[in-house]
Amino acid sequence: MSLLHPRSHQADNVEALRALVDPGQGWLDRSIFWDSDIYALELERIFARSWIFVAHDSQIPNVGDFLTTYVGEDAVIVARARDNQVHTFINSCSHRGNRVCFAEAGSARRFTCNFHGWSYGLDGALAGVTAEHLYKDNPTFDREKLGLHKARVESYGGMHFANFDPEAPSLADYLGDFRWYLDVLLDNDEGGIEFVDGNIKSRLKCNWKFPAENFIGDAYHATWTHSSALLALFGKAPRMHPDRSFQVNANGHGWEFGTDFIGNAATLGEPEIVDYLRDSEARFQERLGKMRSRMIGSLSSATVFPNLSFLAGHNTFRTWNPKGPTETELHTWVFLNKNAPESLKEKYRRGVMLTFSPAGVFEMDDGENFEHCTASNAGVVTRRRKLHTGLGLGSEIDHPELKGHVHSNQVNEANHRAFYQRWLDLMTAASWADVPAR
Amino acid sequence: MDITNTSAARLNGPPVDRDLAFEIEQFLYREARLLDEERYEDWLGLMAEDIHYWMPGIQARYRADKAEKISLSRMAYFDDDLDYLKKRVERALQTTAWAEDPPTRHFHMVGNIEVEPTERPNEWTVYSVVFNVRHRNEAEQLELTARRRDLIRRDESGDLKIARRFIQLQQTVLQAKNINTFL
Repeated sequence: MSLLHPRSHQADNVEALRALVDPGQGWLDRSIFWDSDIYALELERIFARSWIFVAHDSQIPNVGDFLTTYVGEDAVIVARARDNQVHTFINSCSHRGNRVCFAEAGSARRFTCNFHGWSYGLDGALAGVTAEHLYKDNPTFDREKLGLHKARVESYGGMHFANFDPEAPSLADYLGDFRWYLDVLLDNDEGGIEFVDGNIKSRLKCNWKFPAENFIGDAYHATWTHSSALLALFGKAPRMHPDRSFQVNANGHGWEFGTDFIGNAATLGEPEIVDYLRDSEARFQERLGKMRSRMIGSLSSATVFPNLSFLAGHNTFRTWNPKGPTETELHTWVFLNKNAPESLKEKYRRGVMLTFSPAGVFEMDDGENFEHCTASNAGVVTRRRKLHTGLGLGSEIDHPELKGHVHSNQVNEANHRAFYQRWLDLMTAASWADVPAR
Repeated sequence: MDITNTSAARLNGPPVDRDLAFEIEQFLYREARLLDEERYEDWLGLMAEDIHYWMPGIQARYRADKAEKISLSRMAYFDDDLDYLKKRVERALQTTAWAEDPPTRHFHMVGNIEVEPTERPNEWTVYSVVFNVRHRNEAEQLELTARRRDLIRRDESGDLKIARRFIQLQQTVLQAKNINTFL
């Protein structure tokens, strides 16, 4: 490996990348969870060209509202400008590169750099330069070109996504058939959803893909890993039904779910939440049809490729932000139907934190798993054996109603394989033109 | 509500009775030892029936920002009543609580204890800080620092009980995969 070309031969070589991941049979080379060159390529080819979730509408409702977050390892500001549009741009001054916003949320008219006082508008454009006369007649000083690097921003159901690749397809095409499933949460009630104020952030010493793949399809772990929490909150492990549960995926986004309607919601241990769902069932059915209405609070988990995960019923969205090949920053939110009664909102806010925050009784066993799945790959001999992700091979079915690729039985790893197929597609594609619809 | 903003009037108030301060200090040290020894059911016994155990998420906001830096309506690591605390303890004591086996080696250090009177003769506002280290498995060492404000009450039987605990974690991004302890 040359010092001048830190990206290794292996990572840049399409054939070598294909040898790492076999989505057809479910074999994964452990180096994808450890190798720093592969990680560097992920930042380039996945995070810098995918649609990355940055904010929900309700987090920045007014002109001037902003929050700071990440697209891959790129720090960004997400702000609502005077045109009422949500803008996303790099949080780094065009002059010397210093961060221009240090608050994680707030309201502002401008973002001013602490170093020399250059300031930027809510749309990222360069708004002011200290002692600007110094640049008079300067041939390289062009205000238009010195704004903060902007991403494309598109939204679906109030969820704003950013993309730094001008060649990328629209968000609608990127989500594809998965939009039909997202409506289960984003549009089951008039007015849609809102996020509870606040964002719990935590660091896990794990590769970002372990939690992302866990949420896209790992129903298998639920009753084993979370046995202690299920016993404490629910008194027993809930039953999954192979014949009445599914894994679905489209373009690398996936959802594993039962059609039990309230399975996840019931494990929050708050009867009022279950009552609300039951009382609203007819309304949900009218909006979404019977099949999708059964997903609203069911035993399930999902990931929008690459790093936005969520739980129906537990009402949490989260992103897995990469911080090197072996570290991930988890951002966790609680969401609810905007028109749900206030008392119910409070039950959700507290119930979700009891279960799926870093101190939550479910989540704390997950972090332990993800970290040790990652750390074991420090061993060179350990890395010589691939990981088996082959559960449910051949389980794809035709379904009269469900969209995308449909597999029977939520206890399956079909969605893992779809996730790594999409990963491989992007990692080996020179541009979006080479990325097939999946 | 912010623990860093305490009223100026208190800066010059007379200290509480020395025996009372000593009793409350000993109470908090004993509580820390119960947590170190994972005696969670005994620890629950130190809580009043109406306990509010609250560790809010902390946000880095600009000083000029008029929004509260901490709010009861925002997300929190803990926003618990006694029932919630019992559920957490019940989970920790399950034999299938994989993250607790082998056990975490806990360390809770409590200091800077200040006792202040309230309007009620049997309740005191108690400030303290806690330094917590969790050692796990081979070389894991997770450190948490927090400032606390408790409401400590003497109940009818004469025992001290924790009726409110506000824990201000000093990290905006939790530098740990979980919080499998109490502070």
